[in-house]
Amino acid sequence: MLELYAVSKIYGNGVVALRDVDLKVNKGEFVFIVGPSGAGKTTLTRLILAEEKPTKGQIIVNNKVVNNLRPSEIPYLRRQIGTVFQDFRLMHNWTVEENVSFAMKVIEAPRRAIRKRVPEVLEMVGLANKAKHLPTQLSGGEQQRVALARAIVNQPYILLADEPTGNLDPETAWGIMRVLQDINAQGTTILMVTHAKNIVDEMRKRVVALEGGRIVRDETRGAYGNEN
Amino acid sequence: MRIRTWAFFTGQAFSSMRRNSWMTVASIGTVAVTMIVLGIFLLLGGNINNIAGNIESQVEVSIYLQDEITSGQVDDLAQKFAAMEQVALVKYVSKEEALQELREMYGESGDFLAGLELDNPLRNGFRLRTHRPEQVLEIVPTLRSFDGVAEVQYGQGFVEQLFAVTNVMRVVALGLMLGLASAATFIIANTIRITVFARRREISIMKYVGATDWFIRWPFVIEGMTLGLVGSLIAAGLVAWAYSAAVVNLAVTIPFFPLVKPWPFLLGVSGWLLLIGTTIGVLGSTLSLRRFLRV
Ligand SMILES: Nc1ncnc2c1ncn2[C@@H]1O[C@H](COP(=O)(O)OP(=O)(O)OP(=O)(O)O)[C@@H](O)[C@H]1O
Ligand SMILES: [Mg+2]
Repeated sequence: MLELYAVSKIYGNGVVALRDVDLKVNKGEFVFIVGPSGAGKTTLTRLILAEEKPTKGQIIVNNKVVNNLRPSEIPYLRRQIGTVFQDFRLMHNWTVEENVSFAMKVIEAPRRAIRKRVPEVLEMVGLANKAKHLPTQLSGGEQQRVALARAIVNQPYILLADEPTGNLDPETAWGIMRVLQDINAQGTTILMVTHAKNIVDEMRKRVVALEGGRIVRDETRGAYGNEN
Repeated sequence: MRIRTWAFFTGQAFSSMRRNSWMTVASIGTVAVTMIVLGIFLLLGGNINNIAGNIESQVEVSIYLQDEITSGQVDDLAQKFAAMEQVALVKYVSKEEALQELREMYGESGDFLAGLELDNPLRNGFRLRTHRPEQVLEIVPTLRSFDGVAEVQYGQGFVEQLFAVTNVMRVVALGLMLGLASAATFIIANTIRITVFARRREISIMKYVGATDWFIRWPFVIEGMTLGLVGSLIAAGLVAWAYSAAVVNLAVTIPFFPLVKPWPFLLGVSGWLLLIGTTIGVLGSTLSLRRFLRV
């Protein structure tokens, strides 16, 4: 479970990015985070990843308070959270396979486990035949699938996706959404920040809308919202 | 950590060096040059120490006896010398022993000593050593007053000046070495900072995946260590080669110049160069990483 209690974030320059945010996400949920630019969506993900500390409030991931971790504890939090970003963030000179297996090397998984698991996730994201390719030899959608494979290879507790389809054309975006749905179906909680109205409207999942750092709407089977 | 993880780190370090081959060569060269200069200082230092040590061991009084005295008188003198409170050591040196010592000192170039045993021009005598070098002055007049003593020689005055000079040289050499070592650390830190800077994107990706700081750091540390080690190996090789050649050449041109024998002296010097070079590499890489690990 992911829990936020009265979380506020004021950046050093005085910008109030989040105000008194209360949010509870149960295991296995699929949640869209929507809202206009500057609403605080990315800030929310950065707080969950302990990239930033909240100015006020408490954040709990999987029953552990994470808003005041020591720097040495942060890597262990991040191993429970898979991340995907708009810009893919792959290692350019590593193959697909190396990019994915790296996440397992980091946790020092046994070689046998790596050999078994990596092809499995590549199969799941539909890249089984591109394992030896470099990211530069792949399309944007394929690169995002590599990032997804890397994010889930260690079976994280939560998958955080910040505009994962932001750089992709609609059709490719839907391909990514299908993979996300598969991942969610296997029990992984997903938090996805997005501006893609059609996707949110079509999928009919829980929608949390932020505006000016406040949660203005939280619907179980919501839509992107009519104001946009 | 698992061996395989270390293999991964090493692989990372080497592929980084291969990718930045230009920088790699530049920093190995820098370390090598610095370590060569450091090596020269170590060689100079070792030789200065050696000269100082030689001279210290030569702070002794040589007493030459008149040719005609009896062995009874010699024994008598030996006892009198030993009884003096400043005297630490008394050694009788017959003229045959003195000749033998000369032969050993000159080695192969001592041809001119051949045949001297038939008509040995040297004299029987004693060598005295005092507890402290400056006590030599106190005892010399007494020594001269003994019957049967022909001549007393000592190296006072010169010795003290030399010690003062060598002490200053030691301090200067140490200061220069420290300066050089920090300059080399700075240069390696800068080199690695460039590779780290080029890879800051990769570092931040690693942090998102949940890599610990040490997981990220090790490849760079290994890289710095390798740069330092290879650079200092080159330096140690060159320094050792040059010194051995110098010892051979000087033995021909200035036969009695007291250079320290290459073995095991060079082993120590190379050991220090490797140690310092590798440390500099590690230090440089850790310093340059500090800023980039805060993601
Ligand atoms: N590191 C930072 N330092 C200071 N202010 C920041 C920082 N990051 C974000 N902000 C500010 O905080 C507010 C929220 O930013 P955030 O990135 O969370 O918005 P967002 O909802 O993700 O927007 P977008 O949809 O454009 O990505 C903005 O006003 C932004 O300028
Ligand atoms: Mg954002």
